[in-house]
Amino acid sequence: MKPISRRSFLERSGTGMAAAAAIPALEAPTFQSRPLPAEERGREIHLKVNGKDHRLEVEDHWTLAEVLRDHLGLTGTRVGCDRGECGACTVLLDGKSLYSCSYLAVWAEGKEIFTVEGLAEGTQLDPLQEAFIEHDGPQCGFCTSGQLMSAKALLNSNPNPTEAEARQALAGNICRCSNFNRYLEAVLATSGKGGSRG
Amino acid sequence: MVEELKTVGHSTPRIDGLQRVTGRATYSADVQLPNMLYARVLRSPHPHARILGIDVARALAAPGVKAILTHENCRLVWSSGDRVNKRYLFNNPVRFVGDAVAALAATNRHLAEEALKLIQVEYETLDFVLDAEEALQPGAVEIHPGGNLSPIISFRSTEPGKREPSTYVRGDLEKGFAASDFVFEDRYVSKHVNNAQMEPRVALAHWEGDKLTVWTPTQGIANCHRDIARDLNLALEKVRVVCQYMGGGFGNKNQCQDTDLMAAQLAKETGRPVKLELSRKEDFVCVHGRWPTSQNYKVGVLKDGTLQAIQMRGYSGMGPYRKSGGGISGVEYFRCPNVKTEIYPAYTNMAVSANFRGPPYPQGVFGIASILDHIAHELKIDPVDFYLKNVTRKFRDSIPYTSSGLLECIRQGAKLFEWKKRWHPAGSQQGPIKTGIGLAAGGFGASVGRSSAVLRLDSEGRLWLHVGVTDIGTGAKTTMALIAAEAMGIDMDKVRVISGDTDRTPYSVGESGSRTTSYTGYAIVEAAKDLKQQLAASGPPQGDEVLIAEATPSPRLEGKVRYSFAVHFVEVEVDTELGGVRVLKYLAVHDSGRIINPLTATSQVQGGVIQGLGMALHEELLYDENTGIPLNPGYYGARVMTHVDVPNVEVHFVETEDAYGPFGAKAVGEPPIVPVVGAVANAVFNAIGKRIKELPITRDKIIGAVS
Repeated sequence: MKPISRRSFLERSGTGMAAAAAIPALEAPTFQSRPLPAEERGREIHLKVNGKDHRLEVEDHWTLAEVLRDHLGLTGTRVGCDRGECGACTVLLDGKSLYSCSYLAVWAEGKEIFTVEGLAEGTQLDPLQEAFIEHDGPQCGFCTSGQLMSAKALLNSNPNPTEAEARQALAGNICRCSNFNRYLEAVLATSGKGGSRG
Repeated sequence: MVEELKTVGHSTPRIDGLQRVTGRATYSADVQLPNMLYARVLRSPHPHARILGIDVARALAAPGVKAILTHENCRLVWSSGDRVNKRYLFNNPVRFVGDAVAALAATNRHLAEEALKLIQVEYETLDFVLDAEEALQPGAVEIHPGGNLSPIISFRSTEPGKREPSTYVRGDLEKGFAASDFVFEDRYVSKHVNNAQMEPRVALAHWEGDKLTVWTPTQGIANCHRDIARDLNLALEKVRVVCQYMGGGFGNKNQCQDTDLMAAQLAKETGRPVKLELSRKEDFVCVHGRWPTSQNYKVGVLKDGTLQAIQMRGYSGMGPYRKSGGGISGVEYFRCPNVKTEIYPAYTNMAVSANFRGPPYPQGVFGIASILDHIAHELKIDPVDFYLKNVTRKFRDSIPYTSSGLLECIRQGAKLFEWKKRWHPAGSQQGPIKTGIGLAAGGFGASVGRSSAVLRLDSEGRLWLHVGVTDIGTGAKTTMALIAAEAMGIDMDKVRVISGDTDRTPYSVGESGSRTTSYTGYAIVEAAKDLKQQLAASGPPQGDEVLIAEATPSPRLEGKVRYSFAVHFVEVEVDTELGGVRVLKYLAVHDSGRIINPLTATSQVQGGVIQGLGMALHEELLYDENTGIPLNPGYYGARVMTHVDVPNVEVHFVETEDAYGPFGAKAVGEPPIVPVVGAVANAVFNAIGKRIKELPITRDKIIGAVS
């Protein structure tokens, strides 16, 4: 099989939500990034994250999740699979939910990104966050940031979703503790409440 | 019913909920240290092969690479990776696709991944075997010297290491069959499914002088601490394990993982902190999942449905390394004078199999609940009546339970579920879409035992609770705080929980086997007694004073057995044309003694049920029989449940009074997954009138059964 680089894979899939489950055998590590020519290295980009401007140098193959976590210290965005299967890394990009593990940082140039750290305003939690605590959404909590951001994207575009619409909107966020119904209760309890940040 | 308490028993949001919803909870992968290296692992592409040579020269010369470990320069034994044979960190021969061949540390993760490709390995491939029963046939390739029947590993066994099936006998089987009016025989098969916890394995190791600190996601910092110290030949005080938040495990993070040792060794060789991250695929194939089984039953009954004899011969595929018991349990939920179970745990060249929630039960209950449901059907006995007649009254018909709400769970459940109203004979509905109902019962040991707690009361009235729990998602930190608040008669907001760090907390039993509440929670109750005595004697602390109490009780059950019980009722809809199964209604009725926190306990039960539905209907790690390569590691491939798949799950607790544990609390976390697969399989049978005897119950099997 011809090696596929993360960049070419993501570019071919044409979207941040890489839906295809390529299942090669285990001889290769998670992904194979080809060596980049010198002129492609160290590109400076501008990211707006949670309302703050950042200028930073990134390599072309770095994912948005990687940059958020390792270079901006925003570790609330979790990486559960690093291949667009689990949704733990979901962030908002221009108001829409996105798997940040499957989106290159360079593509985010000039776009507005919101992460879980941007949900609360000072000590004032977003109504979704309050409902997540009250309805016991997080068990282990590893998927929670992603569930929150998908729910936020849903309520931004549809403030009063039906149960079916909410389930559909959260379908890309796996919770192996399987607290799906708690998360759903929390989202439905929040719908119609609270403003739309992010 | 249990008597009402002030704090315990009231639904309380998790004390660390704020950290979890703001992203501030620090999981192991979130910790970054200055000058840190990243490590990656090269893994075997073959299910069984001898390594003839490894050439690391090109990889060592690659940019950023600082150290490489292979079986040639690292002979560390990972003792919790195999409890029978020596499992090295890097083995030769390699015994499954994914067995570690080399680990490498480099200045960033991309350079590490690039450099892995430069390691040259020459393999001589060997024959391999994937199926447990095939592995035990004469002529099968030997995975370890001495054959593929894995020895008995129970530490309680007087003859550990003996190669014989794990056997239990009571009464006289032949007499039992002779006395029976009918004898039924059948075979059931369950598959390897992965724990698939959201947080992949990671380890960050850092040496300061001769002291090692490891940040790692573990279900038991004390186990992990002990294992790392033993395997690296270090004194316990030279090792610190930290796990402030962890993203689930369901049994596969209970011991030290090989990644902990690899990171420690690479950090030692390079003199820099090393973070080793596993990919999701590695986590699916190289850690462990639930063992696959085949189960052959022979059951004798009287005409009225009274059980006379149960025989079960089962096979468990353990993969090539032995981490766990490999049991097939469920027969013990039924009273029966003559029983023999015989289980053959076998080495195979599949992924390693070990603990996953309720370890030996969900697959065992699938088998026994299926054949008993079949018997009730043949004898035209309502399954609820069959259960009421036959379920256990005493453990193995001889040892009394400390408490049992099992019969009450069946009665209340049948009523709440409106069983009689929903019941119809199997396969009696017309049309392509059919509904059916089923039930199954189960339980899990709610043992008691040694654990510790330290309480520290300051002059502000704050109670600092030091407990070595890690909170794998059960809500253990909150449960511990509730118990402490109740025991001290103070408000929850005065309690501060210090956990997840072996340098700051005393021993706690691992968060496995549903033990934390019963063990560590009870230690808190005991420590609180001491603290209250000190308070009475010397009054509240003033200024810089603190009062400190510690307890390490080792309670015993004195000739009794302590169990939690669960009875589940489910209604499904089966599309006989397209093969789909949809859950219409699910009721889980549990006796877990007193419920400390109804909010989190209900979440636990709902979660366990939904995991069980995944096992029943979706999940299986598939292998290519020709190459021994796993085909579908990962969430998509495993088809784990998602938001759009899950039904509403009703949860009902029958709170029996129990004289042991903190305020009579029994096991909550393990039992919920136990009856699920059996109940669903029985409901599918009730719908279509055909029994699916092999998991998972997928469309192809439904269509095959009805056509």
